[in-house]
Amino acid sequence: MVNSLDPTCNTTPEPMTPGSTTPNPTPLEISAAELTVPQNTSAASAKDIASDWEPKILVFACQYCTYAGADLAGLSRLQYPTTTRVLRVPCSGRTNPQFVIRAFQKGFDGVLVAGCHPGDCHFTTGNYFTRRRYLLMTRLMEFIGLDPRRFRVCWISGSEGPKFQQVVTELTDTIRPLGPSQKLWDEGGISS
Amino acid sequence: MKDTVIHATNTIAIRHEMRNIARNLLEIQAVDLILGWKKGILPNKSAPAFIHRPDQVDDLIFDEFCYHNLTKFLLGCPDRQDRIADNEDRLKTAIFVKGCDSRSLIGLIQDNQITRENVYIIGIDCPGLKEEHNTTILAKKCETCYTATPVEYDILIDSPDKRPENPNGLKGFQAHRDLAKIENMPPAERGAYWQQMFQSCIRCYACRNVCPVCSCKECCFDQTLPNWVGKGNNTSDNGFYHLVRAMHVAGRCVSCGECERSCPMHLPVMLLNSKLGLSIEELFDEPPASMNFDVTATLNHFKPEDPEEFM
Repeated sequence: MVNSLDPTCNTTPEPMTPGSTTPNPTPLEISAAELTVPQNTSAASAKDIASDWEPKILVFACQYCTYAGADLAGLSRLQYPTTTRVLRVPCSGRTNPQFVIRAFQKGFDGVLVAGCHPGDCHFTTGNYFTRRRYLLMTRLMEFIGLDPRRFRVCWISGSEGPKFQQVVTELTDTIRPLGPSQKLWDEGGISS
Repeated sequence: MKDTVIHATNTIAIRHEMRNIARNLLEIQAVDLILGWKKGILPNKSAPAFIHRPDQVDDLIFDEFCYHNLTKFLLGCPDRQDRIADNEDRLKTAIFVKGCDSRSLIGLIQDNQITRENVYIIGIDCPGLKEEHNTTILAKKCETCYTATPVEYDILIDSPDKRPENPNGLKGFQAHRDLAKIENMPPAERGAYWQQMFQSCIRCYACRNVCPVCSCKECCFDQTLPNWVGKGNNTSDNGFYHLVRAMHVAGRCVSCGECERSCPMHLPVMLLNSKLGLSIEELFDEPPASMNFDVTATLNHFKPEDPEEFM
Protein backbone atom coordinates (compact mmCIF):
# COMPACT_ATOMS: atom_id res chain seq x y z
CA MET A 1 0.00 0.00 0.00
CA VAL A 2 2.90 2.33 0.73
CA ASN A 3 4.28 1.55 -2.71
CA SER A 4 1.31 3.06 -4.44
CA LEU A 5 2.24 6.46 -3.03
CA ASP A 6 5.71 6.24 -4.47
CA PRO A 7 5.77 7.80 -7.97
CA THR A 8 8.81 5.74 -8.96
CA CYS A 9 6.98 2.53 -8.32
CA ASN A 10 5.30 1.37 -11.51
CA THR A 11 4.59 -2.21 -10.59
CA THR A 12 1.40 -3.21 -8.91
CA PRO A 13 1.92 -4.81 -5.50
CA GLU A 14 2.42 -8.55 -5.66
CA PRO A 15 -0.51 -10.55 -4.33
CA MET A 16 0.45 -12.08 -1.01
CA THR A 17 -0.65 -15.53 -2.07
CA PRO A 18 1.33 -17.02 -4.94
CA GLY A 19 -0.65 -17.93 -8.00
CA SER A 20 -3.46 -15.51 -7.38
CA THR A 21 -5.09 -14.51 -10.63
CA THR A 22 -8.11 -12.77 -9.22
CA PRO A 23 -8.39 -9.19 -10.44
CA ASN A 24 -9.28 -6.47 -7.99
CA PRO A 25 -13.01 -6.44 -7.42
CA THR A 26 -14.89 -3.59 -9.04
CA PRO A 27 -16.33 -1.34 -6.34
CA LEU A 28 -20.07 -1.54 -6.40
CA GLU A 29 -22.58 1.17 -5.77
CA ILE A 30 -24.10 0.48 -2.39
CA SER A 31 -26.30 3.07 -0.77
CA ALA A 32 -25.22 4.40 2.59
CA ALA A 33 -28.21 2.86 4.31
CA GLU A 34 -27.19 -0.55 3.06
CA LEU A 35 -24.28 -1.04 5.43
CA THR A 36 -25.10 -4.66 5.87
CA VAL A 37 -26.47 -6.78 3.10
CA PRO A 38 -29.87 -8.06 4.21
CA GLN A 39 -30.36 -11.76 4.92
CA ASN A 40 -31.95 -12.75 1.58
CA THR A 41 -29.29 -11.45 -0.73
CA SER A 42 -29.44 -14.09 -3.43
CA ALA A 43 -31.82 -12.47 -5.93
CA ALA A 44 -31.16 -8.78 -5.51
CA SER A 45 -27.42 -8.57 -5.25
CA ALA A 46 -26.44 -11.66 -7.25
CA LYS A 47 -26.66 -9.73 -10.49
CA ASP A 48 -24.66 -6.85 -9.01
CA ILE A 49 -21.76 -9.01 -7.93
CA ALA A 50 -19.32 -9.52 -10.75
CA SER A 51 -19.11 -13.16 -11.71
CA ASP A 52 -15.39 -13.34 -11.06
CA TRP A 53 -15.55 -11.50 -7.75
CA GLU A 54 -13.90 -13.26 -4.85
CA PRO A 55 -14.08 -12.06 -1.24
CA LYS A 56 -10.84 -10.84 0.27
CA ILE A 57 -10.20 -12.53 3.59
CA LEU A 58 -7.68 -11.49 6.21
CA VAL A 59 -6.47 -14.23 8.54
CA PHE A 60 -4.75 -13.31 11.78
CA ALA A 61 -2.77 -16.50 12.32
CA CYS A 62 -1.02 -17.26 15.57
CA GLN A 63 2.63 -18.08 14.94
CA TYR A 64 2.74 -21.34 16.87
CA CYS A 65 -0.46 -23.08 15.76
CA THR A 66 -2.48 -21.57 12.96
CA TYR A 67 0.48 -20.29 10.97
CA ALA A 68 2.00 -23.78 11.18
CA GLY A 69 -1.40 -25.19 10.23
CA ALA A 70 -1.58 -22.93 7.20
CA ASP A 71 1.97 -23.99 6.33
CA LEU A 72 0.93 -27.63 6.58
CA ALA A 73 -2.05 -26.95 4.33
CA GLY A 74 0.35 -25.51 1.77
CA LEU A 75 2.89 -28.34 2.10
CA SER A 76 0.10 -30.88 1.73
CA ARG A 77 -0.96 -29.17 -1.53
CA LEU A 78 -4.41 -28.45 -0.10
CA GLN A 79 -6.21 -25.90 -2.25
CA TYR A 80 -7.70 -22.94 -0.43
CA PRO A 81 -8.97 -19.62 -1.79
CA THR A 82 -6.13 -17.58 -3.23
CA THR A 83 -7.73 -14.36 -2.06
CA THR A 84 -6.82 -15.21 1.53
CA ARG A 85 -4.20 -13.01 3.16
CA VAL A 86 -2.43 -14.57 6.12
CA LEU A 87 -1.01 -12.20 8.69
CA ARG A 88 1.21 -13.78 11.31
CA VAL A 89 0.87 -12.64 14.91
CA PRO A 90 2.91 -13.91 17.89
CA CYS A 91 -0.24 -15.11 19.63
CA SER A 92 -3.94 -14.79 18.93
CA GLY A 93 -3.95 -12.65 22.08
CA ARG A 94 -1.91 -10.11 20.14
CA THR A 95 -4.87 -9.47 17.87
CA ASN A 96 -6.14 -6.22 19.20
CA PRO A 97 -9.84 -5.64 18.38
CA GLN A 98 -8.62 -2.48 16.65
CA PHE A 99 -6.90 -4.64 14.02
CA VAL A 100 -10.18 -6.30 13.13
CA ILE A 101 -12.16 -3.08 12.92
CA ARG A 102 -9.37 -1.52 10.86
CA ALA A 103 -9.40 -4.48 8.43
CA PHE A 104 -13.11 -3.96 7.79
CA GLN A 105 -12.62 -0.22 7.61
CA LYS A 106 -9.99 -0.68 4.90
CA GLY A 107 -12.27 -2.92 2.87
CA PHE A 108 -11.61 -6.55 3.71
CA ASP A 109 -14.72 -8.64 3.09
CA GLY A 110 -14.07 -11.09 5.89
CA VAL A 111 -11.75 -11.48 8.86
CA LEU A 112 -10.67 -14.67 10.58
CA VAL A 113 -8.85 -14.62 13.89
CA ALA A 114 -7.25 -17.99 14.51
CA GLY A 115 -5.05 -19.38 17.25
CA CYS A 116 -4.18 -22.43 19.30
CA HIS A 117 -6.87 -24.47 20.97
CA PRO A 118 -7.50 -23.41 24.58
CA GLY A 119 -4.87 -25.10 26.71
CA ASP A 120 -2.32 -25.29 23.89
CA CYS A 121 -1.13 -21.69 23.87
CA HIS A 122 2.64 -21.27 23.55
CA PHE A 123 2.33 -18.54 26.17
CA THR A 124 0.06 -20.74 28.30
CA THR A 125 -2.90 -18.41 28.61
CA GLY A 126 -2.95 -16.00 25.65
CA ASN A 127 -5.84 -17.60 23.82
CA TYR A 128 -8.07 -17.64 26.90
CA PHE A 129 -7.88 -13.86 26.87
CA THR A 130 -8.55 -13.92 23.13
CA ARG A 131 -11.63 -16.00 23.74
CA ARG A 132 -13.12 -13.60 26.28
CA ARG A 133 -12.30 -10.60 24.13
CA TYR A 134 -13.85 -11.95 20.96
CA LEU A 135 -16.92 -13.39 22.66
CA LEU A 136 -17.70 -9.74 23.40
CA MET A 137 -16.39 -8.42 20.11
CA THR A 138 -18.59 -10.68 17.96
CA ARG A 139 -21.64 -9.42 19.83
CA LEU A 140 -20.60 -5.81 19.47
CA MET A 141 -19.97 -6.15 15.73
CA GLU A 142 -23.38 -7.70 15.25
CA PHE A 143 -24.94 -4.96 17.36
CA ILE A 144 -23.57 -2.21 15.15
CA GLY A 145 -24.96 -3.87 12.06
CA LEU A 146 -21.99 -5.76 10.63
CA ASP A 147 -23.02 -9.12 9.24
CA PRO A 148 -21.74 -11.67 11.80
CA ARG A 149 -20.96 -14.08 8.96
CA ARG A 150 -18.09 -11.85 7.88
CA PHE A 151 -16.16 -12.25 11.11
CA ARG A 152 -15.00 -15.53 12.52
CA VAL A 153 -12.78 -16.74 15.33
CA CYS A 154 -11.51 -20.30 15.22
CA TRP A 155 -8.98 -22.55 16.93
CA ILE A 156 -6.69 -24.26 14.39
CA SER A 157 -3.70 -26.20 15.64
CA GLY A 158 -0.39 -26.80 13.87
CA SER A 159 -1.47 -30.25 12.74
CA GLU A 160 -4.84 -29.12 11.42
CA GLY A 161 -3.89 -28.18 7.87
CA PRO A 162 -7.13 -29.63 6.49
CA LYS A 163 -9.10 -27.66 9.07
CA PHE A 164 -7.40 -24.45 7.96
CA GLN A 165 -8.34 -25.23 4.38
CA GLN A 166 -11.89 -26.04 5.39
CA VAL A 167 -12.43 -22.96 7.56
CA VAL A 168 -11.04 -20.52 5.02
CA THR A 169 -13.00 -22.14 2.19
CA GLU A 170 -16.19 -22.08 4.24
CA LEU A 171 -15.69 -18.44 5.13
CA THR A 172 -15.10 -17.55 1.46
CA ASP A 173 -18.13 -19.53 0.34
CA THR A 174 -20.29 -17.83 2.98
CA ILE A 175 -19.17 -14.36 2.07
CA ARG A 176 -19.26 -14.74 -1.73
CA PRO A 177 -23.07 -14.45 -1.98
CA LEU A 178 -23.05 -11.51 0.46
CA GLY A 179 -21.05 -9.39 -1.94
CA PRO A 180 -18.28 -6.94 -1.18
CA SER A 181 -18.33 -5.51 2.31
CA GLN A 182 -18.89 -1.82 2.32
CA LYS A 183 -15.98 -0.27 4.11
CA LEU A 184 -17.24 0.55 7.55
CA TRP A 185 -19.12 3.84 7.25
CA ASP A 186 -16.95 5.07 4.45
CA GLU A 187 -17.88 8.43 2.97
CA GLY A 188 -16.12 8.25 -0.33
CA GLY A 189 -12.67 7.07 0.57
CA ILE A 190 -11.70 9.80 3.01
CA SER A 191 -10.11 7.25 5.26
CA SER A 192 -8.80 4.82 2.66
CA MET B 1 -11.43 0.63 55.44
CA LYS B 2 -15.09 1.09 56.12
CA ASP B 3 -14.50 2.94 59.37
CA THR B 4 -17.19 5.35 60.33
CA VAL B 5 -20.84 5.75 59.52
CA ILE B 6 -22.68 8.99 60.20
CA HIS B 7 -26.45 8.97 60.04
CA ALA B 8 -28.27 11.77 58.30
CA THR B 9 -32.04 11.90 58.13
CA ASN B 10 -32.59 14.05 55.06
CA THR B 11 -30.85 16.04 52.30
CA ILE B 12 -30.33 19.07 54.55
CA ALA B 13 -28.72 16.87 57.16
CA ILE B 14 -26.49 15.27 54.50
CA ARG B 15 -25.34 18.71 53.42
CA HIS B 16 -24.72 19.70 57.02
CA GLU B 17 -22.64 16.57 57.66
CA MET B 18 -20.69 17.07 54.41
CA ARG B 19 -19.67 20.56 55.47
CA ASN B 20 -18.79 19.42 58.98
CA ILE B 21 -16.59 16.62 57.74
CA ALA B 22 -14.92 18.87 55.15
CA ARG B 23 -14.27 21.67 57.63
CA ASN B 24 -12.85 19.26 60.14
CA LEU B 25 -10.54 17.59 57.61
CA LEU B 26 -9.13 20.94 56.50
CA GLU B 27 -8.77 22.32 60.01
CA ILE B 28 -6.82 19.34 61.32
CA GLN B 29 -4.81 19.44 58.05
CA ALA B 30 -5.50 15.86 57.15
CA VAL B 31 -6.17 16.86 53.57
CA ASP B 32 -5.32 19.89 51.44
CA LEU B 33 -7.96 19.49 48.75
CA ILE B 34 -11.55 18.33 48.85
CA LEU B 35 -13.43 17.37 45.70
CA GLY B 36 -17.18 17.85 46.03
CA TRP B 37 -20.16 19.47 44.39
CA LYS B 38 -21.50 23.01 44.54
CA LYS B 39 -24.55 24.76 43.17
CA GLY B 40 -24.26 25.35 39.42
CA ILE B 41 -24.95 28.60 37.59
CA LEU B 42 -27.85 27.13 35.64
CA PRO B 43 -30.94 25.67 37.29
CA ASN B 44 -30.99 21.90 37.73
CA LYS B 45 -27.24 21.69 37.41
CA SER B 46 -24.60 21.14 40.01
CA ALA B 47 -20.93 21.70 39.39
CA PRO B 48 -17.72 20.20 40.75
CA ALA B 49 -16.23 22.12 43.67
CA PHE B 50 -12.58 22.27 44.68
CA ILE B 51 -12.32 23.16 48.35
CA HIS B 52 -8.93 24.31 49.64
CA ARG B 53 -9.81 26.40 52.69
CA PRO B 54 -12.23 25.95 55.59
CA ASP B 55 -14.14 29.11 54.61
CA GLN B 56 -15.06 27.50 51.27
CA VAL B 57 -16.84 24.49 52.70
CA ASP B 58 -20.22 26.21 52.78
CA ASP B 59 -20.26 25.89 48.98
CA LEU B 60 -20.66 22.14 49.29
CA ILE B 61 -24.03 20.65 48.49
CA PHE B 62 -25.55 17.33 47.61
CA ASP B 63 -28.73 17.27 45.56
CA GLU B 64 -30.36 15.18 42.85
CA PHE B 65 -28.26 16.85 40.11
CA CYS B 66 -24.81 15.90 41.38
CA TYR B 67 -24.08 13.85 38.28
CA HIS B 68 -20.36 14.52 38.16
CA ASN B 69 -18.15 11.59 38.85
CA LEU B 70 -15.29 13.40 40.54
CA THR B 71 -12.81 10.54 40.54
CA LYS B 72 -11.31 11.56 37.20
CA PHE B 73 -10.11 14.80 38.80
CA LEU B 74 -7.78 12.74 40.97
CA LEU B 75 -5.80 12.00 37.79
CA GLY B 76 -6.05 15.52 36.49
CA CYS B 77 -3.01 16.87 38.30
CA PRO B 78 0.03 14.70 37.55
CA ASP B 79 2.28 17.24 39.29
CA ARG B 80 0.19 16.92 42.35
CA GLN B 81 0.49 13.13 42.25
CA ASP B 82 4.27 13.42 41.88
CA ARG B 83 4.50 15.90 44.70
CA ILE B 84 2.47 13.61 46.87
CA ALA B 85 4.64 10.65 45.92
CA ASP B 86 7.85 12.55 46.76
CA ASN B 87 6.71 13.94 50.08
CA GLU B 88 6.57 11.63 53.05
CA ASP B 89 4.48 14.09 55.06
CA ARG B 90 2.00 14.26 52.26
CA LEU B 91 -1.50 15.48 52.63
CA LYS B 92 -4.30 13.47 51.19
CA THR B 93 -7.03 14.48 48.80
CA ALA B 94 -10.55 13.99 50.08
CA ILE B 95 -13.28 13.10 47.65
CA PHE B 96 -17.04 12.79 47.93
CA VAL B 97 -18.41 9.74 46.15
CA LYS B 98 -21.79 8.28 45.31
CA GLY B 99 -22.15 4.53 44.89
CA CYS B 100 -21.25 4.49 41.19
CA ASP B 101 -18.33 6.89 41.73
CA SER B 102 -16.89 4.63 44.40
CA ARG B 103 -16.82 1.77 41.90
CA SER B 104 -14.85 3.80 39.40
CA LEU B 105 -12.49 4.77 42.22
CA ILE B 106 -11.90 1.08 42.90
CA GLY B 107 -11.26 0.62 39.17
CA LEU B 108 -8.62 3.36 39.21
CA ILE B 109 -6.96 1.88 42.29
CA GLN B 110 -6.95 -1.56 40.64
CA ASP B 111 -5.33 -0.03 37.56
CA ASN B 112 -2.64 1.51 39.81
CA GLN B 113 -3.63 4.99 38.73
CA ILE B 114 -4.11 6.25 42.26
CA THR B 115 -3.03 4.95 45.63
CA ARG B 116 -5.68 4.13 48.17
CA GLU B 117 -3.62 5.70 51.01
CA ASN B 118 -3.50 9.05 49.21
CA VAL B 119 -7.25 9.43 49.07
CA TYR B 120 -9.72 10.04 51.85
CA ILE B 121 -13.07 8.76 50.61
CA ILE B 122 -16.27 10.28 51.94
CA GLY B 123 -19.19 8.14 50.81
CA ILE B 124 -22.76 9.36 50.47
CA ASP B 125 -25.80 7.12 50.31
CA CYS B 126 -27.34 8.09 47.01
CA PRO B 127 -31.13 8.56 46.73
CA GLY B 128 -30.91 8.38 42.93
CA LEU B 129 -30.44 11.38 40.66
CA LYS B 130 -33.10 13.12 38.58
CA GLU B 131 -33.14 13.99 34.89
CA GLU B 132 -32.22 17.63 34.55
CA HIS B 133 -34.91 18.33 31.95
CA ASN B 134 -37.61 16.60 33.96
CA THR B 135 -37.02 16.62 37.68
CA THR B 136 -39.81 14.20 38.45
CA ILE B 137 -38.21 11.19 36.82
CA LEU B 138 -35.20 9.18 37.87
CA ALA B 139 -32.06 9.57 35.76
CA LYS B 140 -31.70 6.72 33.29
CA LYS B 141 -28.36 5.59 34.64
CA CYS B 142 -29.79 5.34 38.16
CA GLU B 143 -32.49 2.87 37.20
CA THR B 144 -29.93 0.13 36.88
CA CYS B 145 -27.92 1.13 39.94
CA TYR B 146 -26.12 -1.81 41.53
CA THR B 147 -25.04 -0.03 44.63
CA ALA B 148 -26.52 3.10 46.19
CA THR B 149 -24.14 2.76 49.13
CA PRO B 150 -20.50 3.29 48.15
CA VAL B 151 -18.55 0.05 48.12
CA GLU B 152 -15.45 1.69 49.60
CA TYR B 153 -15.17 4.64 51.98
CA ASP B 154 -13.35 6.01 54.99
CA ILE B 155 -16.45 7.69 56.28
CA LEU B 156 -20.02 7.22 55.13
CA ILE B 157 -22.97 9.56 55.39
CA ASP B 158 -25.85 7.17 55.75
CA SER B 159 -29.33 8.19 54.68
CA PRO B 160 -32.74 6.48 54.91
CA ASP B 161 -33.68 7.92 51.48
CA LYS B 162 -31.14 5.83 49.65
CA ARG B 163 -32.27 4.09 46.56
CA PRO B 164 -33.06 0.39 46.90
CA GLU B 165 -30.34 -1.64 45.25
CA ASN B 166 -30.97 -3.57 42.10
CA PRO B 167 -29.33 -6.97 42.07
CA ASN B 168 -30.83 -8.07 38.75
CA GLY B 169 -28.62 -6.22 36.32
CA LEU B 170 -29.91 -4.40 33.30
CA LYS B 171 -32.96 -6.53 32.61
CA GLY B 172 -36.32 -4.81 32.78
CA PHE B 173 -35.02 -1.25 32.72
CA GLN B 174 -34.93 1.57 30.21
CA ALA B 175 -31.33 0.88 29.28
CA HIS B 176 -32.32 -2.68 28.46
CA ARG B 177 -35.39 -1.56 26.49
CA ASP B 178 -33.23 0.80 24.43
CA LEU B 179 -30.85 -2.05 23.72
CA ALA B 180 -33.69 -4.38 22.76
CA LYS B 181 -35.10 -1.78 20.38
CA ILE B 182 -31.87 -1.72 18.41
CA GLU B 183 -31.29 -5.45 18.63
CA ASN B 184 -34.74 -6.07 17.15
CA MET B 185 -34.07 -3.91 14.10
CA PRO B 186 -33.16 -5.73 10.89
CA PRO B 187 -29.37 -5.65 10.40
CA ALA B 188 -29.49 -3.09 7.58
CA GLU B 189 -31.56 -0.68 9.65
CA ARG B 190 -29.27 -1.21 12.61
CA GLY B 191 -26.28 -0.37 10.45
CA ALA B 192 -28.00 2.78 9.22
CA TYR B 193 -28.84 3.76 12.79
CA TRP B 194 -25.22 3.58 13.86
CA GLN B 195 -24.01 5.25 10.72
CA GLN B 196 -26.30 8.15 11.51
CA MET B 197 -24.98 8.30 15.03
CA PHE B 198 -21.35 8.23 13.94
CA GLN B 199 -22.07 10.87 11.33
CA SER B 200 -23.36 13.19 14.05
CA CYS B 201 -20.33 12.63 16.27
CA ILE B 202 -17.88 15.53 16.16
CA ARG B 203 -15.14 13.46 17.84
CA CYS B 204 -14.51 16.05 20.53
CA TYR B 205 -13.33 13.19 22.77
CA ALA B 206 -15.43 14.53 25.65
CA CYS B 207 -16.71 11.01 26.37
CA ARG B 208 -13.14 9.76 26.62
CA ASN B 209 -11.86 12.70 28.66
CA VAL B 210 -14.63 12.47 31.22
CA CYS B 211 -14.57 8.68 31.51
CA PRO B 212 -13.20 7.60 34.89
CA VAL B 213 -11.85 4.32 33.52
CA CYS B 214 -10.13 5.88 30.46
CA SER B 215 -6.94 6.50 32.37
CA CYS B 216 -4.14 5.85 29.85
CA LYS B 217 -1.37 8.43 30.02
CA GLU B 218 -1.28 8.47 26.23
CA CYS B 219 -4.48 7.45 24.51
CA CYS B 220 -4.19 5.40 21.32
CA PHE B 221 -6.26 8.05 19.53
CA ASP B 222 -3.68 10.71 20.36
CA GLN B 223 -0.76 8.72 19.01
CA THR B 224 0.72 9.63 15.66
CA LEU B 225 2.55 6.32 15.23
CA PRO B 226 0.54 4.24 14.66
CA ASN B 227 -2.00 6.74 13.50
CA TRP B 228 -5.25 4.97 14.29
CA VAL B 229 -7.62 7.78 13.39
CA GLY B 230 -7.11 10.77 11.13
CA LYS B 231 -7.37 14.37 12.21
CA GLY B 232 -10.39 14.91 10.01
CA ASN B 233 -13.91 14.26 11.15
CA ASN B 234 -15.45 11.46 9.11
CA THR B 235 -17.97 8.75 9.82
CA SER B 236 -15.52 5.93 9.35
CA ASP B 237 -13.01 7.15 11.90
CA ASN B 238 -15.78 8.21 14.28
CA GLY B 239 -17.18 4.68 14.15
CA PHE B 240 -13.72 3.24 14.67
CA TYR B 241 -13.26 5.50 17.67
CA HIS B 242 -16.54 4.53 19.31
CA LEU B 243 -16.09 0.80 18.77
CA VAL B 244 -12.52 0.80 20.05
CA ARG B 245 -13.44 2.90 23.05
CA ALA B 246 -16.29 0.54 23.86
CA MET B 247 -13.89 -2.40 23.74
CA HIS B 248 -11.30 -0.56 25.85
CA VAL B 249 -13.74 0.08 28.67
CA ALA B 250 -15.48 -3.29 28.32
CA GLY B 251 -15.58 -4.99 31.69
CA ARG B 252 -14.42 -1.84 33.45
CA CYS B 253 -17.33 0.50 32.69
CA VAL B 254 -19.23 1.21 35.90
CA SER B 255 -22.23 2.76 34.11
CA CYS B 256 -21.72 6.13 35.75
CA GLY B 257 -23.21 7.74 32.63
CA GLU B 258 -20.64 10.49 32.37
CA CYS B 259 -19.97 9.86 28.67
CA GLU B 260 -23.58 10.39 27.73
CA ARG B 261 -23.96 13.41 29.99
CA SER B 262 -20.93 15.14 28.53
CA CYS B 263 -21.76 14.49 24.87
CA PRO B 264 -22.42 17.85 23.20
CA MET B 265 -24.29 16.12 20.37
CA HIS B 266 -26.49 14.16 22.81
CA LEU B 267 -25.57 10.83 21.24
CA PRO B 268 -26.52 7.57 22.99
CA VAL B 269 -22.87 6.78 23.77
CA MET B 270 -23.84 4.52 26.67
CA LEU B 271 -25.59 2.06 24.35
CA LEU B 272 -22.39 0.39 23.23
CA ASN B 273 -21.19 0.09 26.82
CA SER B 274 -24.55 -1.25 27.97
CA LYS B 275 -24.49 -3.81 25.18
CA LEU B 276 -21.08 -5.06 26.28
CA GLY B 277 -22.16 -4.96 29.92
CA LEU B 278 -25.19 -7.08 29.15
CA SER B 279 -23.09 -9.51 27.12
CA ILE B 280 -20.70 -9.85 30.06
CA GLU B 281 -23.64 -10.56 32.36
CA GLU B 282 -24.87 -13.25 30.00
CA LEU B 283 -21.51 -14.84 29.17
CA PHE B 284 -19.41 -14.74 32.30
CA ASP B 285 -20.55 -15.47 35.82
CA GLU B 286 -19.11 -12.34 37.42
CA PRO B 287 -20.13 -9.43 39.62
CA PRO B 288 -20.49 -6.06 37.85
CA ALA B 289 -17.26 -4.16 37.20
CA SER B 290 -15.23 -2.86 40.17
CA MET B 291 -17.61 -3.96 42.92
CA ASN B 292 -14.68 -5.02 45.09
CA PHE B 293 -10.90 -5.16 45.08
CA ASP B 294 -10.74 -8.95 44.62
CA VAL B 295 -12.11 -9.25 41.09
CA THR B 296 -10.12 -7.62 38.30
CA ALA B 297 -11.70 -6.32 35.11
CA THR B 298 -13.47 -8.91 32.95
CA LEU B 299 -10.95 -8.84 30.12
CA ASN B 300 -7.97 -8.89 32.49
CA HIS B 301 -8.57 -12.45 33.62
CA PHE B 302 -10.26 -15.59 32.36
CA LYS B 303 -11.73 -18.89 33.43
CA PRO B 304 -10.89 -22.10 31.58
CA GLU B 305 -14.61 -22.92 31.64
CA ASP B 306 -15.64 -19.77 29.77
CA PRO B 307 -18.22 -20.36 27.02
CA GLU B 308 -16.67 -21.91 23.91
CA GLU B 309 -18.02 -20.72 20.57
CA PHE B 310 -14.91 -20.90 18.43
CA MET B 311 -14.31 -24.63 17.97
